[in-house]
Amino acid sequence: MAAVSQNFKTELLGAIPSLRAFAVSLTQNADRADDLVQETLVKAWDKHESFQPGTNLKAWLFTILRNEFYSQMRKRGREVQDSDGIMTARLAVHPAQHGQLDLKDFRGALEQLPEDQREAIILIGASGFSYEEAAEICGCAVGTIKSRVSRARARLQEILKISGEDEFGPDAISAQVTGSNAA
Amino acid sequence: MKEMTKKQMADAAGRHRNGDGNPLGANSEIARKLKQYYDELVSDHVPDRFAQLLSQLEQTEPAQKKD
Repeated sequence: MAAVSQNFKTELLGAIPSLRAFAVSLTQNADRADDLVQETLVKAWDKHESFQPGTNLKAWLFTILRNEFYSQMRKRGREVQDSDGIMTARLAVHPAQHGQLDLKDFRGALEQLPEDQREAIILIGASGFSYEEAAEICGCAVGTIKSRVSRARARLQEILKISGEDEFGPDAISAQVTGSNAA
Repeated sequence: MKEMTKKQMADAAGRHRNGDGNPLGANSEIARKLKQYYDELVSDHVPDRFAQLLSQLEQTEPAQKKD
């Protein structure tokens, strides 16, 4: 096995805050998130030779982390996740007052999204990936990502009782997605 | 290879024009909260265990080569 370069190690270190944020977004649990990041770093180290220098290291790492997350989910079954979902669904979210949304309410709403929608809206709306990169990370079509983001956004608006986000037009994304991709 | 219909092209162009680069709408409450939620996570203090882990991986690696 070829030696891991200092540069690779430095870049791994630099990516840790983003990896942790993505891991918390996926797991909704700080301890599980850090275990996931640790697993990701070990895997990345072991297979550093398969990384193409000059390509997006962050996207490569997010792909590893995401695969690890879903493989852990499959191993432990879905009970934990589902019961968490039911718990949070029972929490009432109050309509935003004075147009200001509480971050805690937002977090609660985000937890209620199915994983595929949550990861899509995080990758696109927060981690700064393009639709193409997000599709690559999730191993699906660009149109699928678009439709997940659109559904996530609509669901968040519904949970948080936000109406009339009209600067953009609420149906512009979904109209475009249903028009070009029936998935 | 699918071809875009005129409608789809118009929709795509419209989306580009209105989207302001942010697919969630640049000024929407959801886009802002999502950023706030995520930025808070990113700025969280990173525990030492990760730097230690990388040092361990480095030490166990045979025939380390400097570059």
